[in-house]
Amino acid sequence: MFEVFAHTADLGLRIRAGDLPTLFAEAGKALFSVLVENLEAIACRETHPLTLENDNLEYLFFDWLDQLLYLFDAQKLVLADFQVTITGGEMANHVQGGRPAEGSSDAGKANAPCWRLEAICRGEKLDRQRHILDHEVKAITYHGLKVEKAEGGWLAEVVVDI
Amino acid sequence: MTQAYIGPLERIDETRWRIPKSYKPGMRVDGIIFADDGLIEQIRHDQAPEQVANVAFLPGIQVASLAMPDIHWGYGFCIGGVCATDPDEGGVISPGGVGYDINCGVRLIRTALSEDQVRPRLKELVNELFQQIPTGVGRTGKYHFDRKELRHLMAEGPRYLIQRGLCTEEDIEHTEAEGRLEGAKPENVSDRALDRGAEQCGTLGSGNHFLEVQVVDAVFDQEAAEVMGLFPGQVCVMIHSGSRGLGYQVCDDALHALRNAPEKYGIKLPDRQLLCAPVHSPEGQHYIGAMRAAANFAWCNRQLLTWQAREVFESVFDKPWQDLQMQVVYDVCHNIAKFEEHEIEGKKKWVWVHRKGATRAFPPGHPEIPEKYRRIGQPVLIPGDMGRASWVLVGQQDSMAKSFGTTCHGAGRAMSRTAAVQDARGRSIERELQERGIVARARSWKGLAEEQPAAYKDVDLVVEVVHKAGLSKKVARLRPIGVIKG
Repeated sequence: MFEVFAHTADLGLRIRAGDLPTLFAEAGKALFSVLVENLEAIACRETHPLTLENDNLEYLFFDWLDQLLYLFDAQKLVLADFQVTITGGEMANHVQGGRPAEGSSDAGKANAPCWRLEAICRGEKLDRQRHILDHEVKAITYHGLKVEKAEGGWLAEVVVDI
Repeated sequence: MTQAYIGPLERIDETRWRIPKSYKPGMRVDGIIFADDGLIEQIRHDQAPEQVANVAFLPGIQVASLAMPDIHWGYGFCIGGVCATDPDEGGVISPGGVGYDINCGVRLIRTALSEDQVRPRLKELVNELFQQIPTGVGRTGKYHFDRKELRHLMAEGPRYLIQRGLCTEEDIEHTEAEGRLEGAKPENVSDRALDRGAEQCGTLGSGNHFLEVQVVDAVFDQEAAEVMGLFPGQVCVMIHSGSRGLGYQVCDDALHALRNAPEKYGIKLPDRQLLCAPVHSPEGQHYIGAMRAAANFAWCNRQLLTWQAREVFESVFDKPWQDLQMQVVYDVCHNIAKFEEHEIEGKKKWVWVHRKGATRAFPPGHPEIPEKYRRIGQPVLIPGDMGRASWVLVGQQDSMAKSFGTTCHGAGRAMSRTAAVQDARGRSIERELQERGIVARARSWKGLAEEQPAAYKDVDLVVEVVHKAGLSKKVARLRPIGVIKG
């Protein structure tokens, strides 16, 4: 479940979910709901796998949305369905930083408690005939960024720059 | 609902208000907001003053954390914020103090056409501009640059476009810094940034970006207007855009690289969006090189938008643009950090002036002003809203003493995007503008609703404050007659 809240020249996204994977999946939908007016018009004919790691849950959340924005902006992908798995908190020998994890394990910070996200994102290439575009999101911001446990599960807030 | 600011705001004089550094432990200097009685009431409505106080935490900050009268709530820095840091006192460079849209700015192009000559073809003109100039989210441009060419654009700015026949020497002379910041390091710009920006040079973008056909409504300073070639009733074109996806990604990359900088450099920050690094640090230097490259790219973007506008005017009025006298009056950025010399407490110092939604306004005689304008002061271009007005100002002497040579950058938002959409329910903004003699084209109803005139403060009031404060002087007021939006 997500809602868009007012932030003067920008937009805020508030997401609530019972568990972390759902929180992240809903956040993906929230971001694309700002980019595309008719999410229902997106056909899930392509899959795009994504793996991210970070030792900070909020930064993992940030990097997730940042990566989705990049896929939209640079690869012209519109995505509507996200199957997310999150493992974390364990002591693991993983990289810190949050860019896609592939091929980056050498530079790892040893023994950092690490969150790991694996996702399958579904959608298709942008088709201007069918997809009505809405806002241009310039960036995900760190301002007021939060991912926290809340009544009934998890709450996340993030402001995107318009 | 947005929370109102309840902290202190002490009156200094008719146009300035102080947030004393005692307000929050960690503030190194006072906060100072330029506003009159009416605007300060609006400014209290959100957390922008709190953000002015937060910026005062930055190491090496000089004199005060400043904000212009068009200040509104941003992320990290407020929009309308100005902050100067001295690298030799541990001063920092803050990507958030520049913003995602590096070198977002404004360009004014004059024409020899009068309103009477344009009116009969206005609809056709605006439709054609909307058709030919890529606007809105995800739109790609008609100009293509490979990686090597993109690096040239970032290193050389619009000068590189001369050989492609898309820019003239005169365009460059009338662009701030001649469209090229020295020390740009295209090699510091990531592949991700190139991926996002590759196809966007020469595109307008979305949000508050626009291209407007405007008419010089009133002239307040005859001499300055004449030097700029402006006269009442004249049709001009104003362009508001920036560095597109390339610049956004440069900022994003820099903030990512700075995540651990507060611990590494022992910097205490009240908001993560204020992430920064000492100017004299590898991270700081890396960002500065990339930021300058993105700034040069932005000037190329506005140059290509200019060129497309000229082509449309040529086709609609069936004359070469040179015959229509479509010269660039000036081009100035309002999201940038620049290394400048200022007098601080009687001593000349080189400082990094961050202008986040604020415009440089150097006074007459300053060596960085193009020779043609040196005796009148640096031209300042203030976009207002699509229904009321925009302004041309010139920098004034007091800006050096009071605001590191800076003035406002626009009207500033009065309503959030969501509130503006709510407010516009059941209305056609396009029709309302039409009734006021303005032809507007946008990608969507919502786009116009979010940017409707009532969503902004009255730019005339904002300009009145900076005029009274001696930061910049009124030269001409321009009113829109044609608008294209993303």
